[in-house]
Formats: sequence, structure tokens, C-alpha cells
Amino acid sequence: MKVLILFAALLCMSCLQAEQLPRTPEGRPDLTGTYDVATLTPLERPKAYGDRLYLSPEQARKMADDVAALKRAGDQISDPTRSAPPAGGDGSPGAAGNVGGYNSFWIDNGDQAASLGGSFRTSIIIDPPNGRRPPMTAQGSRRMAEFFSLFGKNTGAAWWLDRPGPGPYDNMEMRPNGERCLLSFGSTSGPPMLPALYNNMKRIVQTNDTVMIMAEMIHDARVVRLNSKHPPEHIRYWMGDSIGFWEGDTLVVDTRNFRERPALYGADANLHVVEKFTLLADGNLHYQFTVDNPTVWQSSWSGEYPWPASSDKVYEYACHEGNYALGNILRGARLLEQDAQALVADPSG
Amino acid sequence: MTVITIKRAAAIAGLLGLLFNSTQSWSHHAFGAEFDPNRPLILRGPVTKVEWVNPHAWIHMEHTNEAGEKEQWMVEGGTPNTLLRRGLSRRSLMPGSVIIVDGYQSKDRSNRANGRDVTFEDGSKIFMGSSGTGAPKDGRDASER
Repeated sequence: MKVLILFAALLCMSCLQAEQLPRTPEGRPDLTGTYDVATLTPLERPKAYGDRLYLSPEQARKMADDVAALKRAGDQISDPTRSAPPAGGDGSPGAAGNVGGYNSFWIDNGDQAASLGGSFRTSIIIDPPNGRRPPMTAQGSRRMAEFFSLFGKNTGAAWWLDRPGPGPYDNMEMRPNGERCLLSFGSTSGPPMLPALYNNMKRIVQTNDTVMIMAEMIHDARVVRLNSKHPPEHIRYWMGDSIGFWEGDTLVVDTRNFRERPALYGADANLHVVEKFTLLADGNLHYQFTVDNPTVWQSSWSGEYPWPASSDKVYEYACHEGNYALGNILRGARLLEQDAQALVADPSG
Repeated sequence: MTVITIKRAAAIAGLLGLLFNSTQSWSHHAFGAEFDPNRPLILRGPVTKVEWVNPHAWIHMEHTNEAGEKEQWMVEGGTPNTLLRRGLSRRSLMPGSVIIVDGYQSKDRSNRANGRDVTFEDGSKIFMGSSGTGAPKDGRDASER
């Protein structure tokens, strides 16, 4: 009897939540709004958590506290008598390649772990159960190896001249799509649409036959045609072709027909993404996705995280207008190549 | 008032580097592709202009070199959109404000550098990153709850 009462209560709550959703004149949940998807939960789960999907409240609090402390430390006063950083580089890893990045006040990657149903998450990926992308295929691994060969340690020399074939700085088309302001970096526009280091705002505008999903960075608007069909295979798009349909109160979006280098790291033109957008009673979205790219990953993988509704503004991200970096990079490479050639001509320097 | 030491600053730079390097934290471009580790520099002088543009803001400044000559430099920062949402604008850093910048020169050897650490004369950061440190309170900072 108690079980029956509990079940009836849950059913009533569900009905109540469904009734409370804002709806379009056609009766669909109205997803129109602005969402801030910043989160401290990483795409892939740190190995230490194993198959654990959830953080304890204490672990979630510690994660938030640690990042807040890091940012506070970054905001502390620096020594006004400081000198230049070390010659030869400061040893910074990754994209900050041996020269450092910039101050932490430019960064806005959220202040807490992603929470769904009141439980904090260790990773956005929920399948495979270890929260990490499945192994790559031989073809996918080979492709990634080729990609990584474009990056060498930043020594301030033209290291690529010692390698056969085209160099990574030979022309602008050799540079990543994000650096060229063609497509989002970090898969902010996706699909799947993932959080990044900053500018995590999304805006949805919905009509009866179309849903537009805009990512602030880099001002990419996905236009989802409802109840439509994909074009022939030879027609390809930077963000793929997205069609959608309603499955009850959930919007399902199916995307394929990508170009060779989608925004999703590692993916290729065979990428197929299915996303689900579900409006919750609190106004937030529950965002789910499944990635299927059999030429790159040995199995499909899935993830989910909340898109909290936000009253913040979305600002224009006109990437081309101030992209001085691309010119600096290419001009710099030419000078380093000239230095190397001069050294060959006159080894005494 | 706390002044961070060089060692601590290096540790913070390393942690921020890890943020740059995490799976979901791609930056617009690799700073390692643009800046020369063999050309470190420290710049001191007044701001002359702020370019409030994406993908990166650029702060223009006048630096006086050891020979006493004035040089015009540009310093690369992050996206201005993040600061706009915190209630800051390019007018938050007025021309004439004296700043100190440490970073590395662009590989193209123009007067451009990354703003590894950009502070006022007293070492305080030009834009503070969170509420409670000078920015308008917006409820996003844990210290406000």
C-alpha cells in the first residue's frame, strides 16, 4: 500500500511538473531562453574515480573550494618589482606552450560541479561506465598521431624544418579551424555542445518548425529543422546537418553530414551525434548526447549535463575582427625559418 | 595585503596552464605558436588604448626602454565578454593608467607580447576575477553565499 501511495505521489509530481512547463501555442515545451553551461565537471572522468559517476557532497564542495582558492590566488597582488620571466620559457604546458597564458580574471569556467537531480557528477561522459571516451580505432589513432605531429615543443626555433612534408605553419589552411575563426574551439558549438574555459552562454530560439541553438563562442548558430530529412551525403557542413523531432516533451536532434574536421576533438566526417534537450520544471535544460563515429572510436559514447537557465547577457563574439594572432603566428614562423636557413649558410652564426 | 612570490606565481601559472590544457578547456590559439620563449620581457608604462575585441583583447601601452626611448607595445589578454558579464568594460582601464606587464614577445618580433601577468604599479591586477575583489557582486562567487 505504501509503495502504491509513493508511486501515485511521484506520478502526481511528474504530472504537476509537466503542467508547469512553459509551452508554445502548439503545446510543445518552450526551450527559448539563455543558458550558461559553465561547469567544473570535466568531459572525461579522472581515473581515480573509477566507475563512480557521482561526487559526494563533500567532494563537490572540495572541488569548488579548490578552484575558488586557485582563482583567489591568481588575483593576489604580484611583486611590482618583478623582472621578466625566464629566458628559454617558463615551462607552461599545453596551449600555454612554454610562455604562459594570461591572468585568471579572463577565465570563466564555472564555480561548481555539474548537478543533475541533486547529485554532483564526476564526468560529463556517462557511457562507457568509466566516464572516459572508448579506445580509438587504428584509423582514428593514426589520424591523431598525424595531428599531434603538427605540434612541437616551443623552443623559439623552426623545429618543423627537420621533418618531411608540409609544415604546420606553411599557410593559414594548415592552422586549426578555431584559430582561423571558422569554427568553435572546444566543441562549444559542437555537436555535442560542450563547456569551455570561458564564454559558455547558449541561446535557444524556438518556432513550430525550427529550433536555433546559438553558441556565444564563436557566434555559431545551429539551425535545426524539425520533422525534416538530411540532404544527400555529398553535402557537408562545418557543424553537420541537424534535424529534429519531438519525443514526448523531449527535443531529439540528429546531426550528420559533417566536413572532415568537426569541432569535436578527434572526430571525422563520419561523425553522427544524437542530442536530447529536456526542459525541467526549474527552467534548466537536461542535455544528453550520444556520439557515434565508428572510424574514430571503437564504440559509441554518451554524456549528459545540465544547462542552467541564465539571466546573463550573450555578447557578440566577432572572432575575425581582432584576430591578430593568426598573422603573428604565420609571420613569426617565416622569421624563424629565415633564422634556420641563415644558420645553415653560416654555422658560426 | 598579500604579495605573491615568484615561486608561488610560477605555481599559479602552472595550474592555470593545466586549466588551459584540460580536455574541455581549449583556448582560441596556442600561445606557444605565437610567442617566443627566447624573448622574455618586462614592460612598464601608461596605457594608451584598449582594444576590446575578440578573440582576445589587446592593451596598448607606452614603454620606456633602458636607453630612455619610448616604444609603443600591444599586450594580448583574454576574451572581453567574460569581463563584460562582470560589469567591467574597456573604460575600466583608462588611458594613462601605469601598468606592469611580464610576458614574451611575439615571434614576428613586432612590439606585441602576451600579458602573462598584467598589474598596476602597486602589483594589483588590472581586472579582478571574482566578486569580493573589486568586481560587482553577482551571486556567482562562492564567497557571496
